[in-house]
Amino acid sequence: MRNVTFSLVLIAAALMSSCNRETARVGGGGKPTVALVLKTLNHPYFVDMRRGAQEAADRLGVTLQVQAAEREIDVEKQMQIVENLIQTGIQALAITPSGSREIVSALVKARDAKVPIIVVDTRLDQKAAADAGVHAETFVGSDNYEGGRLAGEYLVKATGGTAHVGILEGIPGHETGDSRLRGFRDAVKGATGVTIVASQPANWERDQGFNVFQNMLQAHPDIDSVFACSDLMALGALEAISAAHRTGSIKVVGFDALDDAKKAIAEGTMAGSVAQFPAEMGRAAIESAVKVIRGEKIPEDIKVKLELVTRDNAK
Amino acid sequence: MNRARQFGTLIGLVALCFVLWILTPYFLTVSNLLNVAEQTSINAIVAVGMTFVILSAGIDLSVGSIVALAGVILGVALRDGQPLALALMLTLAVGVVCGAVNGLLVSHGGLPPFIVTLGTMSIARGAALLVTEGRPISGFAASFRVLATGRVGFVPAPVIITAAVYVLAHLVLTRTTFGRYVYAIGGNEEATRLSGVAVRFHKAMIYAVSGLMSAVAAVILTARLNSAQPIAGMMYELDAIAATVIGGTSLMGGEGTLAGTLVGALIMGVLRNGLNLLGVSSFLQQIVIGAVIVVAVLLDTVLKRKHRA
Repeated sequence: MRNVTFSLVLIAAALMSSCNRETARVGGGGKPTVALVLKTLNHPYFVDMRRGAQEAADRLGVTLQVQAAEREIDVEKQMQIVENLIQTGIQALAITPSGSREIVSALVKARDAKVPIIVVDTRLDQKAAADAGVHAETFVGSDNYEGGRLAGEYLVKATGGTAHVGILEGIPGHETGDSRLRGFRDAVKGATGVTIVASQPANWERDQGFNVFQNMLQAHPDIDSVFACSDLMALGALEAISAAHRTGSIKVVGFDALDDAKKAIAEGTMAGSVAQFPAEMGRAAIESAVKVIRGEKIPEDIKVKLELVTRDNAK
Repeated sequence: MNRARQFGTLIGLVALCFVLWILTPYFLTVSNLLNVAEQTSINAIVAVGMTFVILSAGIDLSVGSIVALAGVILGVALRDGQPLALALMLTLAVGVVCGAVNGLLVSHGGLPPFIVTLGTMSIARGAALLVTEGRPISGFAASFRVLATGRVGFVPAPVIITAAVYVLAHLVLTRTTFGRYVYAIGGNEEATRLSGVAVRFHKAMIYAVSGLMSAVAAVILTARLNSAQPIAGMMYELDAIAATVIGGTSLMGGEGTLAGTLVGALIMGVLRNGLNLLGVSSFLQQIVIGAVIVVAVLLDTVLKRKHRA
């Protein structure tokens, strides 16, 4: 029995030491280590962000540690990751919070360990952060409210001011989705011919986008346009539209301008998408972290551009 | 046999710690070990209930959803200004009731536990979403949060709570007739019934214990995140089953100990922590954890076969 246990441990040891070589190499040279904790790594958006961050880290000569929970909504796991990374003596923490309020509890520990915090993509809940005395050095991200407005204004223009809109929301209570939603609603408020007939969460996911929109279409056959708070949900809705044989008759506007969405826009099955530049966010986050480590001043808010992608500019 | 198996798991944990100690200077520090203990507490407590259920040859897939439901009830009670003691009692009651419903459906309805708890997993999750309209309830008083953020000496409160839960549950399992019946039902339900034990009643109780443990975990989780989330606790059932099984409890029932389960939960916690400290890619982490679960069960099966031969 001991043999079996022992071989199990040896396997684990071998696995770990092979991974460890990387950390040992970079950690040893006295280079500062910056951690980037993402919501997840199974989404192209965050994979792009990681790429941008890695490029910046290589250029600036810092070690980058990227970690993410298995599932985007698992804020408790994200908290564990932050706690564990603090133990390794990271010099700065860049994080895309899985929960705007919940993650504050983990950031308290970063503050106590004197690790400067860079918040990326999703803002902290201001009240929760203030109550806990957590201060982020900066926020790097796009203005999601503005993005929602862009999408809303475009939809009004594209439909000639008359539309029955179905909305696919992100996970309820997420600052990112809520801001996009507010921006969109504010933008279409002025257009009297535009009515929002249904608005339901599809939790950022493609398959849920499909199911939720299919149900929406059953309940409201008059829907002629869709705003999805992310492209994954928009792509799910496109499938549902195709299953209902209504491709082309429903205008779908998404968010993120993922490759699949850009393709759909070029093909004409999707109307548009608000492009964010996650790689740019990753780059700016690491640059800011390095500046903070060097004791340089950085602005409290670093805005990353947004751009509406339509058939005119989709490649 | 049982003791030997448990000892094996413990050797595994010690060896894992030893390997991590060699690989990273950050592992064997007081602050990191307390960190691991705190992170393990939620899974360890849920796994107590799971151990009771699996010992009786059952399974409980609804634990994660009960964590969420009990958590949001706690959140609502605190938000509405109920006194802390009342809110906590209410939370534990929700857990017990949910568990008892599982138990009654299994024992009196005669349904397979897998199906019953699969159903209540969805029902409890839906109820949690309904109660909160899908939105988390956040921002609680420090007097409540101390259950997660507080320290007794240098030991985090969740670790103290976990220790207390384990001591109590261990006494129940080893020193009470109820505890003996848990093993007996799992070992041979028919024989237990024939010997005059009220099997159906005790089975219902076993699931109620599991619900209660989920509620205790919900209290710590809510205090820790300072937020009651209706989507909390997803996949907790799998972590709890893994901890129980790594700890040497047989899925066939009748065999296993809580000490083993605690070691199982610690192995998972240490592994996650260690992989984080080493900067192992998130994807590889999942593979390693999965491999450890399979190897642990394989070990168990091989040992048993050897023992019987």
